[in-house]
Amino acid sequence: MNNDIPVQALGGQGEVMAHAVDACVHCGFCLPACPTYALLGDEMDSPRGRIVLMKEVLEGGLPLADAAPHLDRCLGCQACVTACPSGVPYGELITAFRGWSEPQRQRSALDRSKRWAILKALPAPRLFSVAARVGQFAKPLAPVLPAALRGPLDLLPESVPAMQPSAKVTPARGMQRGRVAFLVGCAQQALAPNFNAATLRVLARNGIEVVIPDGQGCCGAAALHTGARDEALKLVRANLNAFNPDDFDAILSNAAGCGAGLKEYPMVLHGEPDETRAKAFAAKVMDISEYLNTLLQNGELEPPVPASRPLTVAYHDACHLAHAQGVRAAPRALLRHIPGVSVLEVPEGDLCCGSAGTYNLEQPDLAGQLGARKAKNILSTTPDLIASGNIGCHTQIQSHVRRQGSPTPVLHTIEILDRAYRGEL
Amino acid sequence: MSTEKLALTTNSSARKPASAGGASNALAADLTRALGPRKVLSNLSERLNYRYDAIQFGATPLAVVLPESTEDVVVAVRAARAAGVPIVGRGAASGLSGGAAPLEPGLVISFTRMTRLTIHPERREATAQAGVVTLAVTEAARPHGLIYPPDPASFRTSTIGGNLAENAGGPMCFKYGVSGDYVRALEFVDAAGEVHRLTRDVFDLAGLLIGSEGTLGLITEATLRLIPPPRFTRTLMAHFPEVGACAEAVSRAIAAGAVPSKLEFMDRACTNAVEDYLHLGLPRDAEAVLLVDTDGEDLDTVQDELRLVEDACVASGGTVRRAATDEEGAQLWRARRSVSPALGRIRPQRMNEDIVVPRSALPDVVREIRALGDASPLRLVQFGHIGDGNLHPNILFDPRTEDAHAVHDLAHRIALVAIRHGGVLSGEHGIGSMKRDFMTDAVDPGTMQALRGVKRALDPSGALNPGKILPAEGVDG
Ligand SMILES: Cc1cc2nc3c(=O)[nH]c(=O)nc-3n(C[C@H](O)[C@H](O)[C@H](O)COP(=O)(O)OP(=O)(O)OC[C@H]3O[C@@H](n4cnc5c(N)ncnc54)[C@H](O)[C@@H]3O)c2cc1C
Ligand code: SF4
Ligand code: SF4
Repeated sequence: MNNDIPVQALGGQGEVMAHAVDACVHCGFCLPACPTYALLGDEMDSPRGRIVLMKEVLEGGLPLADAAPHLDRCLGCQACVTACPSGVPYGELITAFRGWSEPQRQRSALDRSKRWAILKALPAPRLFSVAARVGQFAKPLAPVLPAALRGPLDLLPESVPAMQPSAKVTPARGMQRGRVAFLVGCAQQALAPNFNAATLRVLARNGIEVVIPDGQGCCGAAALHTGARDEALKLVRANLNAFNPDDFDAILSNAAGCGAGLKEYPMVLHGEPDETRAKAFAAKVMDISEYLNTLLQNGELEPPVPASRPLTVAYHDACHLAHAQGVRAAPRALLRHIPGVSVLEVPEGDLCCGSAGTYNLEQPDLAGQLGARKAKNILSTTPDLIASGNIGCHTQIQSHVRRQGSPTPVLHTIEILDRAYRGEL
Repeated sequence: MSTEKLALTTNSSARKPASAGGASNALAADLTRALGPRKVLSNLSERLNYRYDAIQFGATPLAVVLPESTEDVVVAVRAARAAGVPIVGRGAASGLSGGAAPLEPGLVISFTRMTRLTIHPERREATAQAGVVTLAVTEAARPHGLIYPPDPASFRTSTIGGNLAENAGGPMCFKYGVSGDYVRALEFVDAAGEVHRLTRDVFDLAGLLIGSEGTLGLITEATLRLIPPPRFTRTLMAHFPEVGACAEAVSRAIAAGAVPSKLEFMDRACTNAVEDYLHLGLPRDAEAVLLVDTDGEDLDTVQDELRLVEDACVASGGTVRRAATDEEGAQLWRARRSVSPALGRIRPQRMNEDIVVPRSALPDVVREIRALGDASPLRLVQFGHIGDGNLHPNILFDPRTEDAHAVHDLAHRIALVAIRHGGVLSGEHGIGSMKRDFMTDAVDPGTMQALRGVKRALDPSGALNPGKILPAEGVDG
């Protein structure tokens, strides 16, 4: 798409944005992939429409405030990226745009404090854990709270588990095959500590030594995708200092959102001195399922204990795994590798569950509609278990599946593998 | 197409809506009063998004209506008429001839929320509102053992209204026909805001609306014919070291008596653009790739027919690969459907031709067009529904670095190749504004007068999609 975006004035991120706009041929192939287009049926809330809006704002032909409501509704799910044959890097465009535009936004006091609280709590697991507990006490108040605050409360699990700090080094069991660094994640430590515990057990069982480097922190994705670029840059640089890619075979994450965030570092630092370091770092980043699948493909994965009875698993593609990272086959292959387990495909599988970072807080209504639709689609396959590879999807799906009256367990892919290894499946 | 119009596709000149002023506010206010705020868009951010299709940017509309029923369309048309502004119908805006891009500010009626769809299996019919996405018809019909064959490559996005307005084709049309062939009845709203229901007996007025690109009336609903899907389908891919050889294989296969259901071709640049997207292991070095389906009720016949095609390909110097599984076949077709937008990877803009030539002339035509491309500094690629003789030579260019005159000149020379071999200017994408000026080359003055007469009869004030299809009065003398 032709444009007069003043790239010079915008710097490295300007190049990123102009390149994406250039690449779009406005064919509309992405429309049917977009969850907000599916719900609202108008062009402004479609990927093609949003690209035009961003172009207009960047060119100075449209006030940011006019475009903002439509851009805010974007989940950042990147389903449009998978659908786009022209290779438009829409994810990079919206991320860079949010970073560029946030300082110019006029937000209400409630909005600002909400965002502040999220950005402070998410990267600090302890704080998040406390906040989540406070939130639980607030749950009975939900009906009288403003809608903007109700969304997040709805999502809190019934009980918030105790924090379980992980060992700095988890040695390989048996013959050592590899050595990896692990990003422990933030909110996930508070909400689902077993994800990490299971990850460490499964890696150790496969002869992989796992190091949790000091000084690591939040991946920065939440800050980045809500436009808090300065905040995000601090987190990105801290991680670049904490992880030395030369020391490890891979840098692993078991949260799709964080993994996608880590892989974005070169884009974030495009045109800046740290870009080369960011590239070396990102080249080593893998989702846990990708890494284990390479072992599987090399015939090196320890065989899991067969399930005690035939089990069907509905696998949910997290957007940040399937669309942002292009990881679809690996988790399915791992699940299928467990004798007795079969994998079910979910109707409308490519449609986001509506959790997407802070979406439940910002757009509770659309998030709720998408969550309900996802739960309905998953339950239509009548699975024994539900699997996903992302904490955000996990909480969203669990909450909506329960709301629809189903007790079906929702697990991380790696938890299922861990159970299989322990003979508990 | 003139050079100004090429410049228009680069959009700046026509972009800025000089007025959010007087008339537009009054129109939007009237519409909002009559239809409620949910169905009317009047903010600049909203209107800016209803000025383009998949090829061209046009003028920003004064207001946009998103109707949910035929009654809403009637209200909108009457309001626009009262305000004296033009009306442009819009489906998914996947059109490739500028049809849904307004040439002047007015009212855009976007059908994307008119999505009611009913299947009547006992009559083998579907009733679809204009905004129903094409693929949705087949998806709804399939559980009843039926399908809707017209399958433009855009079928996941484009709408029934847009398909009928363009009389869209697709790979299936070689054997099964185009969109218009599946229409039993049409409902439309005319320029005065009257609703009409047309069948195809007596005067085939439905046929008149089909392919009229929103210039004669707004299609609100269609009754579509459904058919049972063929029981067996087989797919093969053949690749060739030269484009003309590929066209020869097609002529050979058809001369030998094969009636494949699909016969599609893409050249080397297309194959590579798609391969960059899908990573299917397509033959990157081949100059041309042919994709073929044969289908039918009897597997032996289907296989025999595939063999005829295979032999023809081999005789023309091709290398053949049969799809081993249905999935592999589906992947190959996904590759073909992605060609057009995947070309965006090469250059940000393109001039898209849509010529049809007699099949016997195909080898010469594709070779001549290839030679024009090789002699030009511009990137020229070809693909198309080659079984029908329908080719899409595309000139890929970057308007910031490449000369619009050269693009126009090359486009014109390609059109002349088609005409010299007894071909026509548009197979399926319509004339729109992109090819409007070529109409005088292709249509004699007497016929042009007849076309104008029809337009005047149905749209006396010229309010419906002005500036499309018919060149400005006087041009045809
Ligand atoms: C990647 C790609 C591949 C394509 N492949 C094919 C192909 O294989 N075959 C093919 O034929 N086309 C193809 N097309 C072109 C396009 O998809 C078709 O022309 C399609 O039928 C347009 O449908 P739409 O809903 O997008 O209509 P739009 O683009 O929105 O509109 C097209 C025209 O129809 C008019 N219109 C729309 N709705 C109505 C209505 N309800 N009543 C009256 N007029 C209306 C508009 O004013 C305009 O003139 C392709 C396009 C793309 C981008
Ligand atoms: S599919 Fe890609 S090129 Fe087409 S409109 Fe969407 S983003 Fe643009
Ligand atoms: S990222 Fe998701 S919500 Fe945003 S435009 Fe793309 S498909 Fe739509």
